Amino acid sequence: MSDALLDRRLVVMTGKGGTGKSTLSAALALAAARKGKKVLVCEVVARERVADFFGRPPSGTQIKELQPNLYSVHVRPREAMREYGLMIIRFETLYKIAFENPAARYFLAAAPSLAEIVMLGKVWWHAAHDMERGRLRWDLVILDAPATGHGLTFLTVPEVFLRLVQEGPLARDMRGMQSLLADPQKCSVCIVTLPEEMPANEAIELDRALQKHGFPVGPLFLNAHFSSRFTPQELAQVTRGGPLLAAAGEAADNHESRAALSAHYEGVLRDTVRRKLLPVPFLFERSFGLQAIEKIAGTIGGVL
Amino acid sequence: MKDVLDRHRIICCVGSGGVGKTTTAAALALRAAMDGKRALVLTIDPARRLANSLGLKELGNEETRIDASHFAQAGLTPRGEMWAMMLDLKSTWDELVKVQAKSPQQAEAILGNQLYQTLSTAMAGSLEYMAMEKVYEVHNSRRFDVVVLDTPPTSNALDFLHAASRILDVLDNNAMKIVLGPMLKAGKFGFKLLAAPSGLVLRTLARFTGSAFLRDLTAFMMAFEGMYEGFKERALEVKALLKSREAAFVLVTSANPLTIQEALYFHQALQADGIATAAVVVNRVQRDPRRHGGPDNPAAIEEALRFAQIKDEGSPRLSERLFQTLTDQATLADLDRREVERLRATLRGVPLYSVPRLRKDVHDLAGFWQIDSDLTETGGD
Repeated sequence: MSDALLDRRLVVMTGKGGTGKSTLSAALALAAARKGKKVLVCEVVARERVADFFGRPPSGTQIKELQPNLYSVHVRPREAMREYGLMIIRFETLYKIAFENPAARYFLAAAPSLAEIVMLGKVWWHAAHDMERGRLRWDLVILDAPATGHGLTFLTVPEVFLRLVQEGPLARDMRGMQSLLADPQKCSVCIVTLPEEMPANEAIELDRALQKHGFPVGPLFLNAHFSSRFTPQELAQVTRGGPLLAAAGEAADNHESRAALSAHYEGVLRDTVRRKLLPVPFLFERSFGLQAIEKIAGTIGGVL
Repeated sequence: MKDVLDRHRIICCVGSGGVGKTTTAAALALRAAMDGKRALVLTIDPARRLANSLGLKELGNEETRIDASHFAQAGLTPRGEMWAMMLDLKSTWDELVKVQAKSPQQAEAILGNQLYQTLSTAMAGSLEYMAMEKVYEVHNSRRFDVVVLDTPPTSNALDFLHAASRILDVLDNNAMKIVLGPMLKAGKFGFKLLAAPSGLVLRTLARFTGSAFLRDLTAFMMAFEGMYEGFKERALEVKALLKSREAAFVLVTSANPLTIQEALYFHQALQADGIATAAVVVNRVQRDPRRHGGPDNPAAIEEALRFAQIKDEGSPRLSERLFQTLTDQATLADLDRREVERLRATLRGVPLYSVPRLRKDVHDLAGFWQIDSDLTETGGD
């Protein structure tokens, strides 16, 4: 299974907001790029973050190179709708008549999750149809899924849509997306979580839901993981070591209480979630940039 | 914070996901109950944790009172009452439709429409809209002195107050009515919506979605006919209530730069609507171990260990690990302090409460009460 994750066409990072999905997307992309793969990170969140990790200005809706072999793009509904609409309708004027009028706003909101559909459609196109000189342009597309509703809502839009609409070009493409999202050879859906109660519980729910919908089972990244540094005896001695050791004792105690939480939730997750669990160590960095991403890429790149 | 609870009847806790909004909301409702009020915490968090920490098996769309024996277990004697409930998105929508429908038949037609079922639960902003709707309903029932709302983790702060009007705008969009015109007319004349989409725009849209969807949409719009006005009026009343002096908005955040950024966005969005932030709560702030003073370099720690007759062993040695850990914890405290100061400077004049990171998760009323003491003692300044 070595490198299996990075050998997929599409890797989806899901999880609650604030768990570090963007960080891990960037680190995975860097690990893959360093292995010679041409990687595109698609951010579908409200504000893009990946370019910033590499010290670059936001990519916006145009694909930009951030590092050798590593690119990113911010997928936004309006622009995705336009690109996608034009692919199907082909005539700009006709597109404008149909979509750039006040009714389109209604339509975009009323057609079940059309915004999500066109955004997912763009990601799917890059992963499965974006050709360059006779071969696929990207070796790997990483989708940093939206945090709201765990990103599950985002991945199930084709399913929901097809329940309501069975005909037309959109329905046809939805089936294409669905089959890519169901193919374990080509796609992997990962979960990112933290060793804290709510994120851990949500990861368990998310795991169940993803499995129920048949998404290919990727690893579970347990981010910001604290490892124990002191034996219980050492901790007991130091915390009772008098005023001279008060600061060091409290620091050690804080650290161990977080390490205990990490160990606890790691145990809970290992018991309930049948996925490869990869702890990602907490980084005590004063600023979060390329250096931090490289550290994480080094840690996970070795395991994957 | 007592001030905020005393002067308002609705407290909305807003902020991004995972910052401890639910816990803060419960702590505020507890505080109000302890002070003699009938307080309700209305949560949108489906996790059973809140229910469990309140001594309930689960929370539903009905208000449930927290048992006195559960307070006794935590060593608390409330002078008032604490109630809790969880927002059920679908049934809140259904209730609203039933209240607003002109006849039971109209309600039936809407509730049974497939598109309604998808739209009510899946439309962006739906949860925000219904949370507000529920607060309005509970407030108007006058059953509680104070309602504390734990709001949805909105990714876009603006969705919050505008969710209702945005959704209603979608439901009653004149432009779309014109586009769908031919199909609407066909429906009215009893053609059972079999008409094929006509008109350039309609035909183009149909190329995307198929005409079956457009037929569903037409049926949905026809079912809603005549109800928009009632919906709009009520949404305006809800908005007016939230902007009135009876309501207060409390920003909840953690010390993480990303969530602080979100909190600032919320603050600006509220300001743009002419609403003042009543207070800001920063959860999980790392305390600085250096406040104790004492040795802070490897040699001095080694010396202190010797003095305390603790063996400096292991690999790396205990003194080195202690030094590293002290440095790391100090870094975390510095980062948190920097963020809290940034927030304080930006929100000048808004009372700011910082709640230290607890060693364990909050699991019971005693835990909420501990937070309450931080919400009063650290004082708004």
